[in-house]
Amino acid sequence: MKSTRRKSGRRIEFSAYGYLSPAVLTMCILSFLPMFFTIYISFTNWNQMHFQNYNLVGFLNYIDLFSPNNPISIAFLPTFVWTVAFTLISTSLNYFVGLILAVFVNDKALKEARVYRTLLIIPWAVPGLISILAWQGLLNQNFGQINALLHIFGIGAIPWLADPFWARVSVILVNLWLSYPYFMTVCLGGLQSISPDQYDAADIDGVNAWQKFRYITFPSAWRVSIPLLIPAYASTFNNFNVIFLLTGGGPDRLTTQFAGYTDILASSAYKLALQFNRYDLSAAISVVLFVIVGVMTLINMRFTNAFKAVD
Amino acid sequence: MASPKRVKPSERIRVWSIRIVLWIVIALALIPLLYVVTASLNPSQSSYSASIIPLHPTLSNYEEVFQSGFFTWLLNTTEVAVVVAAAQLIMTTMAAYAFSRMRFLGRKYGLMTMILLQMFPNSMAVAAIYAVLAQVGLLDRLWVYMLLLIGGSAFNIWITKGYFDTIPKELDESAVVDGAGHITVFLRIVLPLARPMLAVIFFLTIIGTYSEYILAGTVLQSPGNYTLGLGLYSLINGQFAQNWGLFAACSLLAALPLAIAFAFLNPLMAKGLTSGAIKG
Repeated sequence: MKSTRRKSGRRIEFSAYGYLSPAVLTMCILSFLPMFFTIYISFTNWNQMHFQNYNLVGFLNYIDLFSPNNPISIAFLPTFVWTVAFTLISTSLNYFVGLILAVFVNDKALKEARVYRTLLIIPWAVPGLISILAWQGLLNQNFGQINALLHIFGIGAIPWLADPFWARVSVILVNLWLSYPYFMTVCLGGLQSISPDQYDAADIDGVNAWQKFRYITFPSAWRVSIPLLIPAYASTFNNFNVIFLLTGGGPDRLTTQFAGYTDILASSAYKLALQFNRYDLSAAISVVLFVIVGVMTLINMRFTNAFKAVD
Repeated sequence: MASPKRVKPSERIRVWSIRIVLWIVIALALIPLLYVVTASLNPSQSSYSASIIPLHPTLSNYEEVFQSGFFTWLLNTTEVAVVVAAAQLIMTTMAAYAFSRMRFLGRKYGLMTMILLQMFPNSMAVAAIYAVLAQVGLLDRLWVYMLLLIGGSAFNIWITKGYFDTIPKELDESAVVDGAGHITVFLRIVLPLARPMLAVIFFLTIIGTYSEYILAGTVLQSPGNYTLGLGLYSLINGQFAQNWGLFAACSLLAALPLAIAFAFLNPLMAKGLTSGAIKG
């Protein structure tokens, strides 16, 4: 397959485990151990009432999550649906905007493309946390500059963060602003690996611009970006920052205090643990998250054959 | 067929439509940032306008930065970020070297397994982390927070391995002929040649730490221990109208050094992110 294959010396080099151990050990202690402990807590009644003397309660927390009329399930089910919708809409939108911009700034006929590329990447250069908080200010209904700008065009004050629908639009748009430069950069890497011969051959065959995009440009960008797209879906699924720092999960629901209209599972798990001290329910939600992210990843891998080259 | 020198009218329309779309997108992307600059130069409590040029320019917000906890937050965050990034760098390069150059059981599936398991970051385990730290009395300590971020990153290992694979194996082999072992090859050949990638990993980790909120919010409680994220959040949340100007000034001061570093590293970053994938 590649030049990496060497015939001589097929024995195992045990020193490799020495090189691996710092990364693997810290990963096990700091990532996997809390994960297993979370699974354990989700089967207990560990909360403020039973902080010192908690015990195993079986599937009680999970039953609570899914039983109708329970205040936690009123919060859980819509939050779950919104989390999935947010992940699919937001990540796909970010990717396609990034791809289209990459195709545009990669256009040979555009002499000044370099300048555009630099300007378009600027949102990536600002740490996400800072820009999300800044957006919270810019989108303020009464004092924010975005509404002041729209006012010039005769558009009335939009309740960006106060209305359930607009709050969701805000979250998706802000995430687009934050993420398209990353996808643009990744797709550009793919586009630049296309040899010009392919386009020359296409020109000779009299192929139009759309067909060039469909059969040459898109497949190349797709091939390079797909291994990065899978982790991107998973990270949007857990994009705590963009939700919590922009809307705080709000606006609040009238029917339950546990989750607002823009809360995703990750942010509601955080709130349940830190604001309501319900470690048991928070852990149960995290376990549901583990399962979904795991299944999503497996489906994605089957579908795209990514990581096949990792040998 | 038209000669290649002459630009067809249809081609000119196409190029101009792309140009105009890009202008609009760039305006939409940059106006919000310019507004933050404007806000930092406008007196607090002033009425908000759509003007990008500040109506009553003043540096009062920047003077106020010194009275806020900004420099404490910046110091805390930088301390955490540098320690975490240095630790990441050591662990990542060692593991990536093993995956790129050594033969061992688990080489084939080890990295993929780690990447899959890390789809579950430890920030998903806030309940476990918070409850345990509360019970053993280790909340609100900066070093505990630092420790939680230090765990090895499979994604970093993966992109670094991709970069190491592009360094010709012939270089190691000639060193091995001269009697060099893995330690020499790793420290004297692979690492120096991978310097651009090391800069990228270091910088990505710094940026990631600057933007980390969930674990900071879980572990840290007193304002003296606040990171930049917690501090800025406390400024803007609730008392938006009073603090918007101050917030804008703090944000710009914090973001500027990183943005400049980013400008230098971005070409390398693009290369690093895609090199692993392209060879596949």
